Amino acid sequence: MVKTFEEIPGIEWIEGTGEFIKIEEEICIGCANCVKVCLADCFEIINNKATIKSLDKCMECGACWYVCIEGALIFNWPRGGTGYKSDWG
Amino acid sequence: MNEKYDIVVIGAGFGGPIAAKKCADAGLKTLMIERSQNVGEKVISGLTIPFYGFLFGPEFIRDGNPPFERPADGIINYIIKDIEKGEIDIDDSLKVPKPFSPIIAFGYNTYCKPLCEWEAKKAIEAGVELRTSTTVVDVIKEDGYVKGIITDKGEKIRAKIVIDAEGSQGLLAIKAGVREKYPPEAISLADTYDYEMTKEDIDKIFGYSVKMCWGWDEQKIAPPLGYGNGLMVWPYRESIHFMQDQCLRTDQKSVPNLKKLFDEYHVNITSTLPWWKNEVAPRAKLRARMWEGFEIYVGLNKKLRNIHNHINGMILIGDAAGLESTELCDGVPAAWFSAEIAADVAINAIKVNNFSKSFLKKYDERINAHSIIQWSISGTNRYNLRIAQEQHSMKKLKKFIYNGWGLGSLTHFTTPLIKTILLYLRKDPKIISKWIKMYFRYFQNWLYESYDYSRKKELKIQLQNKITVKESFFLSILNWINSFVKFSSRLFKWFIHPFSNAANKFMKIALPFIKPFYLGLLKLLNPLTESLNKKLINFVDHANPLIFQEPINRRGG
Ligand SMILES: Cc1cc2nc3c(=O)[nH]c(=O)nc-3n(C[C@H](O)[C@H](O)[C@H](O)COP(=O)(O)OP(=O)(O)OC[C@H]3O[C@@H](n4cnc5c(N)ncnc54)[C@H](O)[C@@H]3O)c2cc1C
Repeated sequence: MVKTFEEIPGIEWIEGTGEFIKIEEEICIGCANCVKVCLADCFEIINNKATIKSLDKCMECGACWYVCIEGALIFNWPRGGTGYKSDWG
Repeated sequence: MNEKYDIVVIGAGFGGPIAAKKCADAGLKTLMIERSQNVGEKVISGLTIPFYGFLFGPEFIRDGNPPFERPADGIINYIIKDIEKGEIDIDDSLKVPKPFSPIIAFGYNTYCKPLCEWEAKKAIEAGVELRTSTTVVDVIKEDGYVKGIITDKGEKIRAKIVIDAEGSQGLLAIKAGVREKYPPEAISLADTYDYEMTKEDIDKIFGYSVKMCWGWDEQKIAPPLGYGNGLMVWPYRESIHFMQDQCLRTDQKSVPNLKKLFDEYHVNITSTLPWWKNEVAPRAKLRARMWEGFEIYVGLNKKLRNIHNHINGMILIGDAAGLESTELCDGVPAAWFSAEIAADVAINAIKVNNFSKSFLKKYDERINAHSIIQWSISGTNRYNLRIAQEQHSMKKLKKFIYNGWGLGSLTHFTTPLIKTILLYLRKDPKIISKWIKMYFRYFQNWLYESYDYSRKKELKIQLQNKITVKESFFLSILNWINSFVKFSSRLFKWFIHPFSNAANKFMKIALPFIKPFYLGLLKLLNPLTESLNKKLINFVDHANPLIFQEPINRRGG
């Protein structure tokens, strides 16, 4: 299945990525850096911890991972052939 | 059973296929693995590939017909003094002058997907096996050596050498223990918009120039000076790319709220900047928005610049090795150069059956000795813009812009450029005529939308082996150039070579005097150069494509 979103035109997301981003709750200090840099609105802070809202619009840029100074955010690539794709990059 | 290859290349972006093709050309059993369904779909970029990538990069690109969207003849810098009053200064000194522009181009604008696909196709033709929709999740490590890779399907694929072209995040390079994750201040997040526009509108508004806008931080029309860029626009054939980018950390502490800031900058600049608001906005239709981080400042940090780029059995190339430029934000040329060097070293390593770190060190040595790569990863003008902001000095702002994206770049680029040209001349005395043919062929390809896959428009001449007087004159000029180069090779060795080391210094002293003379001369000669330019374009438009072709040297460079 392929998803698209009106607010981010020109990109398609192929389902089946698996959980490619994870947050280790014990390590997260709730600094919200990931929330601030994510243009796809993937994260939110709940009870002082970053939580994944939805990875549906993730462009796999890794900004959240770079700014997670505590190393609580684990970033891997989605399964082959899934995730975002575009003809206009 | 484990599969076995000589070489496994991770990633089929800009660098991967170059390395893979070269290995396959040398007869090595080569596998290239790409995580996207189709090659290039996950590569997000600007994108102008500067001329030095084509001149000094892979021969098959120089002598071939790669797909691109528009030649770029230089940069126009908009320095926004007061956006409300519309006070804008322009620095357009870095432009190829007429009559040569846009045939002799500063670079070529392209979409990532078609170019990466074109490269991958060439690699496959050379014998590379490509596996798409496959993510490499880890490397096989035994006895301190990388001995292959593991895919997301659980396959274990053995290789004598793994060439890692996975891009800037470098997840596998980190897993394999080659290097660490880049810190957030080294990475800029680039927010990119793709707009459709008619070709006529683009010709009129942008022509062949890339546009850059620079404004004070407090104007909030652009990311902070020194930590990002305001607005860069790349004109394509029937579309444009708009990009704003900002570093993920602007000082040692704070991480900016980019989600909020990017929207703010974008609205401000597109609704206040007169040429965007009045000229571009009514004619542009948003087609796509995407973003990607790029490693703009890896090169500036000495520790990072010296990060390891190889271990036993594995070599990193392109963005994975931290080779993106710190000023023009170009990384494709360095991905191409490093891919060729890595392939060369890997081929030799396989010949002598030595995959050790101490043998692969030759790769690092050649990267360090590559004057264009080293120049591009150590330029400080973009970073220095923050000094102009701190001191709120318009004089400094203009100086850094002029030195980074104006004629002033000759004060740091002339030495590496001359050195590299001399190096290529020594290897191939006919190289200048090959370069000229490349420029003319590329321009004709642009006119006819004629690439390896397609020619969209009818040629203005009948394709035949007969050549007109004008065409044979063009070929004679190339022959004269070849003879001149052969005849004066000693001259180059004795005079130009020793001078090249001092060329930057010379430009620093001489440019302030040369510049007014040069700009004055351009103005004075304008009517003449304009008409010559038209004649030149007309010649290319009607020329027999055969005269611009270069037989490809199958032995490789
Ligand atoms: C917004 C932006 C603007 C830019 N503008 C310019 C410009 O104007 N000019 C210029 O020259 N350069 C520009 N660059 C830089 C240029 O895009 C990069 O330097 C270039 O793409 C690097 O090539 P590469 O082969 O190292 O990596 P990439 O081209 O990024 O290729 C990496 C490939 O590896 C694949 N991959 C990654 N991990 C795996 C895995 N585990 N398994 C399988 N496949 C994997 C990816 O899907 C991708 O196809 C820009 C970059 C950005 C982000």
